[in-house]
Amino acid sequence: MASTMPPVPAKDDVKATWAYLEAGVDKIMTDLRGGMDMKTYMGLYTAIHNFCTAQKAVAGTSFTSHNNRGGAHLLGEDLYQHLIEYLRTHLKGVQARSKEHVDEALLTFYIKEWNRYTTAGQYNNHLFRYLNRHWVKREMDEGKKNIYDIYTLHLVRWKEDMFAGTQESVMRSVLKLVEKQRNGETIEQSHIKSVVDSFVSLGLDEADSSKSTLDVYKQYFEKPFLAATAQYYDNESKQFLAENSVVEYMKKAEARLDEEKDRVPLYLLNDIMSPLMRTCEQALITNHSLALREEFQSLLDHDKQEDLGRMYKLLARIPEGLDPLRTRFETHVRKAGLSAVDKISGEGDNVEPKVYVDALLEVHTQYQDLVNRAFNGESEFVRSLDNACREFVNRNKICKSGSNKSPELLAKYTDTLLKKSSAKMNEEDNMEKLLTQVMTVFKYIEDKDVFQKFYSRMLAKRLVQTTSASDDAETTMISKLKEACGFEYTNKLQRMFQDIQISKDLNANYKEFLDKNLDPEDVKTNIDATYNILGAGFWPLNPPSTPFTPPQQIVQTYERFVRFYNNKHQGRKLSWLWHLSKGEIKANYCKVQGQKASPTFQVSTYQMAILLLFNDSDTVAYDEIAEATKLGKETLDPYLGVFMKAKILTAEPEGAKPESGTSYKLNMNFKAKKIKMNLNISIKGEQKQEAEDTHKTIEEDRKLLMQSAIVRIMKSRKKMKHQQLVSETIQQIKNRFMPRVPDIKKCIDILLEKEYLERLEGDELGYLA
Amino acid sequence: MSAPTEEKKTVVLTTSDNADLTVEREVAERSILIKNLLEDLGGDNAEAIPIPNVNEAVMKKVLEWCEHHRKDPPASQDDDSDSRKKSTDIDEWDQKFMQVDQEMLFEIILAANYLDIKALLDVGCKTVANMIKGKSPDEIRKTFNIQNDFTPEEEDQIRRENEWAEDR
Repeated sequence: MASTMPPVPAKDDVKATWAYLEAGVDKIMTDLRGGMDMKTYMGLYTAIHNFCTAQKAVAGTSFTSHNNRGGAHLLGEDLYQHLIEYLRTHLKGVQARSKEHVDEALLTFYIKEWNRYTTAGQYNNHLFRYLNRHWVKREMDEGKKNIYDIYTLHLVRWKEDMFAGTQESVMRSVLKLVEKQRNGETIEQSHIKSVVDSFVSLGLDEADSSKSTLDVYKQYFEKPFLAATAQYYDNESKQFLAENSVVEYMKKAEARLDEEKDRVPLYLLNDIMSPLMRTCEQALITNHSLALREEFQSLLDHDKQEDLGRMYKLLARIPEGLDPLRTRFETHVRKAGLSAVDKISGEGDNVEPKVYVDALLEVHTQYQDLVNRAFNGESEFVRSLDNACREFVNRNKICKSGSNKSPELLAKYTDTLLKKSSAKMNEEDNMEKLLTQVMTVFKYIEDKDVFQKFYSRMLAKRLVQTTSASDDAETTMISKLKEACGFEYTNKLQRMFQDIQISKDLNANYKEFLDKNLDPEDVKTNIDATYNILGAGFWPLNPPSTPFTPPQQIVQTYERFVRFYNNKHQGRKLSWLWHLSKGEIKANYCKVQGQKASPTFQVSTYQMAILLLFNDSDTVAYDEIAEATKLGKETLDPYLGVFMKAKILTAEPEGAKPESGTSYKLNMNFKAKKIKMNLNISIKGEQKQEAEDTHKTIEEDRKLLMQSAIVRIMKSRKKMKHQQLVSETIQQIKNRFMPRVPDIKKCIDILLEKEYLERLEGDELGYLA
Repeated sequence: MSAPTEEKKTVVLTTSDNADLTVEREVAERSILIKNLLEDLGGDNAEAIPIPNVNEAVMKKVLEWCEHHRKDPPASQDDDSDSRKKSTDIDEWDQKFMQVDQEMLFEIILAANYLDIKALLDVGCKTVANMIKGKSPDEIRKTFNIQNDFTPEEEDQIRRENEWAEDR
């Protein structure tokens, strides 16, 4: 092998040195497999070394005796230029031979030549190291362009003399191969990987040849690759959609996107991931987004969660892909909610609160579930859901009769949950769940003040009538409301609750007091009683609507309590809410059917007063009753009606109206069926009246709320434009109810009149302290 | 690249005067030339490595230095830091090592350049620099046995041109 080498040259003979080197380089380039011995290797290196360290041939003196001043001239350029010439010639041959191949064969050829060439380049880089260290380094330090270290020089030459002429057909072959793979065929992936690596290696940084850039790769690989990808999926998606349903297409697109994503680590540069994905998304999704969205409504109508989820995932990948879906989704949910309400309102105007709330909840639950499962719980969709729910909760068919209907029904529903009877059926955790559902609807209610009104009235009733199922559940509900609306919203509710607790302690104290201080004489006449002391400002309770004289039998008892209380808390005024009081009386004149015991009647204090009159006489005239109790006709008459219906009293003459001249007789033959009989039924009209009252006070309270908000704002701002004040007021109040602008203006007028505010120049208002 | 096995691999170097020197591969590889060669050709065969530009005496001296510095961290690719260039500090061992006659000193420098042993080349050059430091031109000429071939006019001009570099 070494024998094929020319003779070792004289060190200052350029021609001989290159002839020697060329033989070596050629061997490395074309026949490295044949091996190289140490002698040749060292010979080549030494030849370069000796040539570079030799004095110029013309100088002809020995090395050690003289140095050229400055030592600026380094030898080597001749060798460098010869090497370039050699590489050019070599690559010309390679390129010519590449023309004989196409497709995969071309790739195989390209890769083989590339590998051989770069390996040889590394060899040469070592052999020419002396040149690199001195001549090349000096040239580069001096800023000469187009001088590279020997390995880089190899790459530069390849790029110019080989790559430029072949990259197009190489790339064509690559793309054909990829297309084959996309069509489901198996391909030799490593070919493409090698081509990618080769293209990347050719990206030399012009400013600093030791660094590489992706420029070449981007221009000659990535660009055509992406273009071909777009083309491929353009064709495929159009054809597929023409022959298949949108649902099928979505599956296809999803699979294709996954496939492309998986392709990257197999043989592409990770760098291509995001542009490749964008290209695919454009071809597979954006270009067909209209068709996809067209399908959305039908998927919603048929509740196809899985397909909806797929559509969400696809459209989420493109910019603004989801916005139209959100709008449609919102409309759809609103319609669903409205039609659910329509359905139940068909059964008459008086809807059961439970039916109503359940209908609202069902729609909400269904679509919340959809949002979570198909739309990934995405916040924008949650907002669309909320918007839709707010719409159908506040503006549905049932609300048409009165915009306050939703909060009223919700409050009533809550009342039934918290009342004793139904609560027994509700386990404790179930109660928590039900109350949470209530809060779900509550969140959407715009007129939260209306809910508050109704709720506090019903709470008052539950507390006074001790019909509340559990203190825990009540506390839970109050704290939920507090969490949602703040301290102010639940302040009164909490005070009511406290009053009842304090009253319990008070009653216990009173009992102790009685045990100690009561005479035996008094014990006989004393009636066992409990008292609730309710703070007038916190309870939504009206004073009695009728005059009333309590029966003698209880006077002593309650007056004793009044003395006790006044002693404890001086200066407090107690007023009796007789219409809310109740008691039990025993009917000794008759027996329960089949038993020896007499029945007990549960009655209101008004009823008690009436019945007690019959202790003195079996027959009492209407006028006598009216005189003794002082009850107004509108209260007295319905109560008498209750007794007649229960067959406790009979009218004389029979069937006579409750009026002067009629008498009432105790029915001595009364047959009681149970040991306890509840006669304390709230009389007709009372409930309706209450609801009306509530609505009326709402309007009043709203005016006050708006006025106080306006004053608050003006107090802090001192001066403000009219328009600004109105919008600020809305801002402050809207979490209670949606105020109407004319109402706010009216309130401003009232405040101007009351001289809280004054008009200033230019539509400005000022605050008067 | 050298295998982590405890068994020390050796190579044979044939000097220009045909002496065979057996040396541990790790030591020989202080020379980048030898290191690259072994990597490229695979140093496992017993073939001797011809070193046509260095004789036995100089090679032995060079190998002595390599032996001492065998564990030095390899110089990084572009260690052109100022400290390497400016400092004329030489560690004690190297100073002693360089206490040889002038001829040998220059031979070592040439061999280090040829064999591509940067650190040794540096030490050699610094030693020469220290020999020049603080000397007048005449003293320098004397030290290195150089004939003065300047005319007095030339000398005068050069002195004026380099006045700025004078100590004061």
